[in-house]
Amino acid sequence: MVQYESELDKTLAALADSNRRALVERLGRGSATVSELAEPLGMTLTGTKKHLRILEEAGLVTTEKVGRARVCSLGPRRLDDLEVFVESYRRMLDARLDRLGELVEKQQKEDEG
Amino acid sequence: MSGKLKIETVGDREIRGERVFDAPREKVWAALTDPELIPQWWGPRQYTTVVDVMDVRPGGQWRFVHQAEEGSDEHGFRGVYREVTEPERIVQTFEWEGMPGHIAVETMELEDLGDGRTKINTVSLFHTTEERDGMFNSGMEGGASETYDRLEELLASQG
Repeated sequence: MVQYESELDKTLAALADSNRRALVERLGRGSATVSELAEPLGMTLTGTKKHLRILEEAGLVTTEKVGRARVCSLGPRRLDDLEVFVESYRRMLDARLDRLGELVEKQQKEDEG
Repeated sequence: MSGKLKIETVGDREIRGERVFDAPREKVWAALTDPELIPQWWGPRQYTTVVDVMDVRPGGQWRFVHQAEEGSDEHGFRGVYREVTEPERIVQTFEWEGMPGHIAVETMELEDLGDGRTKINTVSLFHTTEERDGMFNSGMEGGASETYDRLEELLASQG
């Protein structure tokens, strides 16, 4: 379970950036080299490589050296819709219960005071 | 807070939570069911929560809306109350309008601990609307970029 959660956190963190989401979407249409990815998105090669490394660590992208170019494809980890919903729900529930507790405990103190 | 005990995921379809609050059960029940109190705790701190609909009785609907600031995107949440047993049990559905098709069925039980404290037990079961309607949907499509965008905003807002 802990393992599962850290994997999911990594995935969500990797996707919490619009450039990286754009890279994932582009790769969803087929493999591409780093420069083929960078150019249409208006990104630098260095920046693209940095984002690709984060996506690769999260398992969302794989890269392979072919000749002098590095070819990128979607990785083994696909984000399951339900997984995303459950995780975001869990965080919301946690925050909600925190605030509910704060409210009722504050009200209770005011009544006692 | 007196008791941030735990929230755990059981399998991939169920979340159980448990908290102890230093307040009597009637107060906790009021916070859960009074539309005037909902904006004070339901949403993330930095958001304004507006109660659009809140009809607390079996079959009654609820809809709350979060907004970070005037003019920014709104996040709507909605559901239906299935069971309302004052002051100890509420069962309701939960759906985020940004990710339609997934629903959680939330059961909240309020236990009077007898010393002025109240324990809340929550169980949330996840279904797709297809399952709710009696079909099993095994092929869950990957989220579109819009979903990710909205998810990102939502998670960021949770801190």
